[in-house]
Amino acid sequence: MSALRPYRAILLALALLALLPVLFTTGTVRNFLIFTLIVALAAQGWNLLGGYGGQFSFGHASFFGTGAYAIAILQARAGLNPWLALPVAVALGALAGAVIGTLAFRARLRGSYFALVTLAFAEVLRIVANVLPITGGAAGTLIRLNVDPLNFQFADRAHFYWVTLVFLGAAMVLVRALERGRFGARLVAVRENEDAARALGVDVLRVKIVAITLSAAITAVAGCLYAQNFLYLDAAIAYGPWISVEALLAPIIGGLGTVFGPLIGALVLHGLGELTKVWIGALTGGSVPGIDLVLFGILLIATVGFAPRGILGLVARLRMLPA
Amino acid sequence: MTTTSSGIRRRGLLAATAALPLAAPHVRAQPAAVKIGILQPVTGALAQDGEHGRLGAEIAIDHVNRAGGIRSLGGARLEMVFGDARSNPEGGVAEVERMQAEGVVAIVGGFASPICLAASQAAARYDLPYIVDVGVSDQIVQRGLRNTFRFGPGFGTVTRAALDNLVAINDAAGKPAKTVVIVHEDGLFGSGMARLLNAQLPERGFQVLETIAHPTPSRDMSNVALRIRALGPDLLIPSSYYGEFVLLARTMQQQRIRPKAGIYAVLNGAASNFRFVREFPEAANHIMDCNHWADPRKPLTAEVRKAAEATGRFWLYNIPLNYSCVRLLADAIERAGAADRGRIIEALAASTFDGHIMPYGPTRFENGQNTGAAPVNTQVQNGDIKVIFPRAFADAQPVFPAA
Repeated sequence: MSALRPYRAILLALALLALLPVLFTTGTVRNFLIFTLIVALAAQGWNLLGGYGGQFSFGHASFFGTGAYAIAILQARAGLNPWLALPVAVALGALAGAVIGTLAFRARLRGSYFALVTLAFAEVLRIVANVLPITGGAAGTLIRLNVDPLNFQFADRAHFYWVTLVFLGAAMVLVRALERGRFGARLVAVRENEDAARALGVDVLRVKIVAITLSAAITAVAGCLYAQNFLYLDAAIAYGPWISVEALLAPIIGGLGTVFGPLIGALVLHGLGELTKVWIGALTGGSVPGIDLVLFGILLIATVGFAPRGILGLVARLRMLPA
Repeated sequence: MTTTSSGIRRRGLLAATAALPLAAPHVRAQPAAVKIGILQPVTGALAQDGEHGRLGAEIAIDHVNRAGGIRSLGGARLEMVFGDARSNPEGGVAEVERMQAEGVVAIVGGFASPICLAASQAAARYDLPYIVDVGVSDQIVQRGLRNTFRFGPGFGTVTRAALDNLVAINDAAGKPAKTVVIVHEDGLFGSGMARLLNAQLPERGFQVLETIAHPTPSRDMSNVALRIRALGPDLLIPSSYYGEFVLLARTMQQQRIRPKAGIYAVLNGAASNFRFVREFPEAANHIMDCNHWADPRKPLTAEVRKAAEATGRFWLYNIPLNYSCVRLLADAIERAGAADRGRIIEALAASTFDGHIMPYGPTRFENGQNTGAAPVNTQVQNGDIKVIFPRAFADAQPVFPAA
């Protein structure tokens, strides 16, 4: 029981999340929840490297897209079962992380230089994917609709949601385990002061490369789930900057370097987006397109303004106030 | 006096009460409105197209309702459930889910191919009929989806027609165009078009000097324009969205780059757009385009155009295409005689609808593709967009070579 103690909060949160599709039976809400969890998973990957390791990547699309394209191509062109293609795709995503990490960290790139290099890699991959025949070029890759659980396609969206939740839960447990272990301590040491960590005998390069590889693997899972849910990919979807931004925004909003930060950030970001869409839609009847995005932007600025350390940081600060 | 009046009042009240049971069934017989989903990207990069698509659908719904609604359903009115696809596939899928929850019987729209691909697959999960308004990718109708129909022409058809018409126009003018430069956006539509053109132009006696790709959005087309000047082609074939093509045309005009035979666009975002023609009349003059266009012979076309322009918007092909798609759907619901998805799909598959305003003839669907769909050639001539090909219903002669 005591071994489970650090994971109690995660398991409780997962149990609560698992109940949501039972409470909300419409496809609209379930589709929203699935997409939010996919973003939370991609963001959890980013959080491992950026939140704990302090290495801010602007190009997690590289890993998201590699995972997504790998599973889609293996399934659509090589005829592999998606459940079998998934571990291969995740391994390829991790490999992309290891390669980009090795190149960037061996060159001792830090801070904004590292961010720019990751952004550049994602853009290069986007352009390459847009012309290569294997990715379908600009026409993209389409996974055929064939509803069968063996085919990773479920008649009931709730089932896909639960599958996504299992992957998100696994990623959260993994991050918590790393956080509590020796590796997590080294990673945080690298974030706080790289030179001091090196002086204490931490193999900084190795720690960073392991972190980016694991981070890439988690984000690649999110890419695979995206591909299986929407069944269509093109270069702008897989490697476009949108997912890099989503992946870093969620932990920043939720709380950097915390297990729950990415999940809370994604729920708040997408929840706000969805609520403003529904409210404004009800108010204006859709006559002013984009006005909900304006309100969403204002709310986002307010959130970041009042909670510069993320929502979890704000909660911690409020708790410290004398009651 | 009071008694009389109160007596009358009481009698009137009694009469009204007696009439109520008679009136009630009439009230109950008012048929429920039929909800149809209109999916368009009205925010993001494709907002201009989405807004015009939505307008076309609104005019069609208004026309159907004013003509008495769906007669086989007792005059049921059409009710629009609008969804903003946000110019991306996830946005499209999210809106399909919402429309499903709101109980629509079918969905029309999508505009861009990636949105159409994702949204029609999401609709297929619920066996929800989906009519693609524009999306030209041929993958859309090659997936064996029973619910998906495309009223307009696909990529292959448009390119073939564009090449046939180009050869015909060029031959008639004594072959002034021999060399070609292709400029295309690097997404699904521009790249696919460039590949097909590269494969087919040499077979038809044209020499492709160079193929220049550019991303969407692009903020500067000077390099592309300078490259065109250096190559000096007889003919320029651009396949781009609105913003980039307008930028290119303006840059070319400023730098006085005029290909000898002219500019022959294929599925261009601007060359058949009155906004471009009004705002940059000189840059736009004599540009040709092979694109979707309403049939100028049909009286209904002028009526729809008048209704569209009364809202202060320009006449874009999205309007007649969406107008026609919604009328096609209304006809299918009429013949299905029920707001039942399976029966609407059957009615669409068997449709021979000719009340649309595109130059296609009665619809005939094969694997979801309307086989009669075809593009036309237009040319900007002195501030107006004229049909120059096919000759059967052209309202002007081509000005070729243009320079």
